[in-house]
Amino acid sequence: MSAVPAIAAVGLGRSFEVDGKPVHAIADLTLHVAPAEHIAIVGKSGAGKSTLLNLIGALDRGYSGSLQVFGQELKTLPDRALAQFRNRQIGFVFQAFNLLSNLSVGDNVMLPGSFGSGLDASELRRRAKALLDDFGLGDRFDQRPAQMSGGERQRVAIARALLLQPPLLVCDEPTGSLDGETAAHILSVLSDIRRTRGTALVIVTHDPAIAAAADRVIRLERGRSVAEGTP
Amino acid sequence: MRLRRLFGLVASNLRASWVRAALAMVGIVVGTGLLTFFVGLGQGLREKVLERIFPVNQLELEAKAVQIFGTEQVLGQEPLDDARVSQVAQLPGVVRAFGKQKSSFPARLWGGKELLGYNLFTEAFFDGMPAAVLKSELESFEDVAAKRNPMATAKPQRCEEDLDCRAGMGCADGLCTPIVWADRFVAIPDVVLPCAAEDRCPLAMQCKDGRCVGDDDVPPQRCLLPAPAGNGRELQFDAEVGALAQPCAEPGGWCAKPNTTCGSGRYCAGDNPETKLGYCEQPLPAVLNPLLLEVFNSDMARSLGAAPIGSLAVLFGVRFHIAMGDSYFSKDAERTRQQYKQAVVVGFSRKAPELGVALPLELVRHFNARLKGVASAAAYDALLLDTASNELVPQVIGDAEKLGLQLSRKSRAARTFGTVVLVTSLALVLLAAVVLVVAAIQIAQTFAMLVHDRRREIAVLRAIGAARWDVAVLVLGEAAVIGILGGLLGGGLALALAAGVDAAAARFLADVPLVPQGFFAFPDWSVPLAVAVALLCTVLGALGPARRAMALDPAAVLAQS
Repeated sequence: MSAVPAIAAVGLGRSFEVDGKPVHAIADLTLHVAPAEHIAIVGKSGAGKSTLLNLIGALDRGYSGSLQVFGQELKTLPDRALAQFRNRQIGFVFQAFNLLSNLSVGDNVMLPGSFGSGLDASELRRRAKALLDDFGLGDRFDQRPAQMSGGERQRVAIARALLLQPPLLVCDEPTGSLDGETAAHILSVLSDIRRTRGTALVIVTHDPAIAAAADRVIRLERGRSVAEGTP
Repeated sequence: MRLRRLFGLVASNLRASWVRAALAMVGIVVGTGLLTFFVGLGQGLREKVLERIFPVNQLELEAKAVQIFGTEQVLGQEPLDDARVSQVAQLPGVVRAFGKQKSSFPARLWGGKELLGYNLFTEAFFDGMPAAVLKSELESFEDVAAKRNPMATAKPQRCEEDLDCRAGMGCADGLCTPIVWADRFVAIPDVVLPCAAEDRCPLAMQCKDGRCVGDDDVPPQRCLLPAPAGNGRELQFDAEVGALAQPCAEPGGWCAKPNTTCGSGRYCAGDNPETKLGYCEQPLPAVLNPLLLEVFNSDMARSLGAAPIGSLAVLFGVRFHIAMGDSYFSKDAERTRQQYKQAVVVGFSRKAPELGVALPLELVRHFNARLKGVASAAAYDALLLDTASNELVPQVIGDAEKLGLQLSRKSRAARTFGTVVLVTSLALVLLAAVVLVVAAIQIAQTFAMLVHDRRREIAVLRAIGAARWDVAVLVLGEAAVIGILGGLLGGGLALALAAGVDAAAARFLADVPLVPQGFFAFPDWSVPLAVAVALLCTVLGALGPARRAMALDPAAVLAQS
């Protein structure tokens, strides 16, 4: 295991102005996630889960304190470097899948390769096919996402997140739109990824079953970590 | 972002929102179509109408005139003589200058029977022009280069005179070769110029034995017509008419040699209409304005019951009669000073008078002097200038005005028409520019809506590794594709519309004189210009939306969704 933690946040804060008054979405948060560790972040709506996920996912760098992902302080990176960091180091899985409806399944999966990945088209295609094969969707390469079920779409989204083999997968309610059986399947897919690829998983969830599968559960309340422990 | 991938994303986005893209493109298509159409029209009017009637880079100047009771009068000016020609030739921007003299004597002209089946009769007007002025134009109308190509005379036929050769060929050095008509327009052609002691002879010639002779004069053969020309109606073009004459004891001192003719394209030109005696000579080389054919075909042919003449080529070598000093309408010259000559069409020039004939300058000067007095031949009527470029024309005009000269009516009309064409073209292009500005605004609105509708998609792209600039490139790429397609479509539609207008004009305006073959001339750069302008408009229109897409906060958008 590498000595560099996947995530190291110290005194992390993020506030927004609402009606001219500062609202602290994240306040003085300290968090360490080891490589290949699987953590779940839980909490009520408005607790700051999504804000924390955006910070960890390098979508938001307006934070105070320190936030290092694989040793890289995110707020020091300029836009293009930050985009490249997201591209190479972080995979996103969203509750609403967020597949591009006008692209085929294969093109959706290959999309991250469009932004300076350095991989040629044939390699991207090979990787995309392999991932879809792994997720039982090998024959759906040319279909449109609209022709698929929710579980299938989420698997496509996970394949997209894994295309460039990022060491960190950030999942925002990945089973929130799925029925129980499908959710369990997605969970097993994510667990397999972590086990077979050594990918660190940070999952925001309301689902106790998903949280229970994590190595650690961090409970947020008003932007602060109020409890941390094994499920 | 990889270019190929960019195209893929742009194409899929455009496919997904093709209705909006098509609507956004309408303005660009209309704008670039109008732009291309008007550029083609403006250029066409200049090339096919203006330059066809008024040659470019050429000016005609005349002595400055003042308006007195509605007529133009030249007062107290120095004559337009050779000294003035030299003076004008030295003005900055002038390549060369020549004098032109109009005929001041009455004349009538008839002929056309060999072409139309009957003769046409008309009063005649001549412009005397230096051969050098017309040379290049005569050669281009006749396609002299092809005739001088040795391949054209690969198998020469032996001959003794022109009649031994087939049509279009003449006898030169014992061989039939294509006749180069342009070469026959020379300063002093093989023509006898009758004179009296008080008359003026051209150049270095002097009056001797009743005709102008030069230093290396070879006396022309004398001939006898069957009868005096009279009013000329009975004169024939047949080279066999008339016989060589020899001195004898008959009254008049000349007898016809039996079974002889002038030969070699010559004919017997009577000394005056009252005598049978004449000289063997070549017909006068005549140059016509090509517009004359259009006027004939569109206006005259139908009323005369004649078939339109298909091309200028059939007029080369056509002969006609000219009665110098004779008129249907005005006071004639003395009969014994009149001259009945034959002329032959040797070419076409837009510098020739529209309703007249251009003859070598020295011939017109000679007949002006002989029929109207030496003073009438002393000065030129106008100066012809070639300028180095069109841009220098205003400067040359300004300099010429300081010398007491002004543009001739024809040149004034050309400049006025040119200005009208330019201003109209600019106004129409401005209209197209307004349409394009509106189209750019429409593009801006459309892309603002597209960016708004796709903000989640943009946020996802940002989340998976797209930089702000990648997003902007994507938006601008879509705009660029719309611009390029719109420009091509607009340019193509303009070409098609222009072709339709030209076809309609050819069909419905066929009988209108001076209507050109087409009104449009599209420069090679017209469609690329349409594409470039369309590209510029769409990209400029999409700049604002692209900036908004760049500024989109992906975290906020993803949180909303």
